[in-house]
Amino acid sequence: MAELSKRKDWTLLILLTPALIYFLVYHLIPIAGMVMAFQDYRFVGKSPFVGLKHFKMLFASPAFLQVLVNTLIISFMKIVLFFPLPIIFALMLNEVRTSFLRKFIQSTTYLPHFLSWVVIAGIWIAFLSPSSGGVNQLRGIFGLPPRDYMTDKSAIRWVLFASETWRSLGWDSIIYLAALTSISPSLYESADLDGAGALQKMRFITLPELLPTMVTVFILNMGFFLNAGFDQVFNMMNDSVISVVDILDTYVYRIGLLNMQYSFSTAASLFKGAIGLVLILAAHQGSRKITGKGLW
Amino acid sequence: MVKNVSTTRKVRTPASELFWRWCFIALLLCTCVIVLVPLLNLLALSLSDPSRVSEVRGLTVFPKGFSLINYKVLLANPLFMRSILNSVYITVVGTSLNLLVTSMAAFALTRPKLPFKRFFMVLIIVVMILEPALVTEYLVVKKIGLMNSLWAVILYKAVNVYYLIILMRYFEEIPPSLVEAAQVDGASNMTVLRSIVLPLSKPALATLGLFYGVFHWNEYFRASIYLTDPMKYPLQLILRQFVVLDDTASLIGSGALFSYDEAARLSYSALQASTIVVAILPVLIVYPLILKYYARGVMEGGVKE
Repeated sequence: MAELSKRKDWTLLILLTPALIYFLVYHLIPIAGMVMAFQDYRFVGKSPFVGLKHFKMLFASPAFLQVLVNTLIISFMKIVLFFPLPIIFALMLNEVRTSFLRKFIQSTTYLPHFLSWVVIAGIWIAFLSPSSGGVNQLRGIFGLPPRDYMTDKSAIRWVLFASETWRSLGWDSIIYLAALTSISPSLYESADLDGAGALQKMRFITLPELLPTMVTVFILNMGFFLNAGFDQVFNMMNDSVISVVDILDTYVYRIGLLNMQYSFSTAASLFKGAIGLVLILAAHQGSRKITGKGLW
Repeated sequence: MVKNVSTTRKVRTPASELFWRWCFIALLLCTCVIVLVPLLNLLALSLSDPSRVSEVRGLTVFPKGFSLINYKVLLANPLFMRSILNSVYITVVGTSLNLLVTSMAAFALTRPKLPFKRFFMVLIIVVMILEPALVTEYLVVKKIGLMNSLWAVILYKAVNVYYLIILMRYFEEIPPSLVEAAQVDGASNMTVLRSIVLPLSKPALATLGLFYGVFHWNEYFRASIYLTDPMKYPLQLILRQFVVLDDTASLIGSGALFSYDEAARLSYSALQASTIVVAILPVLIVYPLILKYYARGVMEGGVKE
């Protein structure tokens, strides 16, 4: 019996086959195909190897360097600047003891997470419209002239930041709220007995208990630093602001699928993938070292 | 006695802490207003009487007058109706396929008897951390003849590796004795999966199904690169052209939609608002389920830890 149970069950492979075919077609073959970053892609016949030609072109291109800078700035805003906001949100929400209010706030603020960026872009374009948008109506009330944020180079990155916050503030606070509710109430009770004030309780109980969650979230986000949110940027950019919001993924799309510079675009993808891989592996190791939990 | 203690406590805590608590509630409700006003504003715009649309300002949340004309016009538009059908088709077929393929794979990967198990686990990590180039994925899809087929859109993300891992963790919690008992009785793997593992995993499947479903409903990008025939476009893609790119001709100009006087009477922004509302509606319908299964699951999981 023991021997029987050790024997491999080959019929299990049948169950795995559909997933394997999917991985092969949508992941493995395309990954192997990225070798064309070192070739000049030809539609017919063999594509000749050209070494690092496309990478040299890439790094010599001012457009690409601008794209890289944009990606880093936008990612910095959405990962580092945004980082404390859901924590503050969860801390405040945790103080709301009225169950009805709490549920209302939660169900309202989680909702935008489930809307597509197409929908959110539509909503924000309307909301920021210089002629009929809510924000400019508000500016009017304070006697300020209307402003067209969507086509304003100095404002558009903040529009990305604000819309990301609008979409993710509530949803991203869930993980902190869960950590907060798991803090043992006895800790607070004994602090009460010691006469600790609200600030002291925050500093010596709440924040230390939240720290592991904060570290995990931060490190894991760092692993995706080069993404910067394709769907958001793709739907919120326009010709007036493209120079400041064009990120790696939108650039790869434009030069690859629109301009059909297949090998050049793949080189940019490979560059992004290689850096991304290093970041993800570093995030994985860092997270494992600090919290004992990695990405996988 | 007990009552006395609790009242003295209540008297002791208030003052500053109560003040802060109310400040927090006020701030949180402000957040809710910021989330809701843009949504309600579009709803108000879409439901307002066409003759009074100009009265709807950016912060208006109630419709001026009432009319369903915008929705009537949209529903009479063949391209728009077709896009809803396409989206429903992609969502239903895609989600069913997701659940089938993901649960089959998760079951196989959690069996100790799976041959080459280590190899497959490494493969999953590779898939998770290596992102193929957009161009090479596009060329593969083109080569296997899926261009302009809804299947190119449906099959993209047939298995979400993160969801696969979640389901594997769930399957691992199922007592092996249950599975073994059935296998001794001669049940095949598929039978064990169908009659034992899946019925025990309903909450996990419901959660993943909802997430896969929302993903498919919201997908537009793969549709935009793989589909060439506008009659195959999903709703989100029509929405992108009509609202985000402000290409009013994409919807209005296509075929015999409605008479020109009707078009002249309507405001584009109200029509655009109605399109957004239609795209949000299905998400709103399943949203209570999402809250029930996911948010609560996370909260309870957090409490238990």
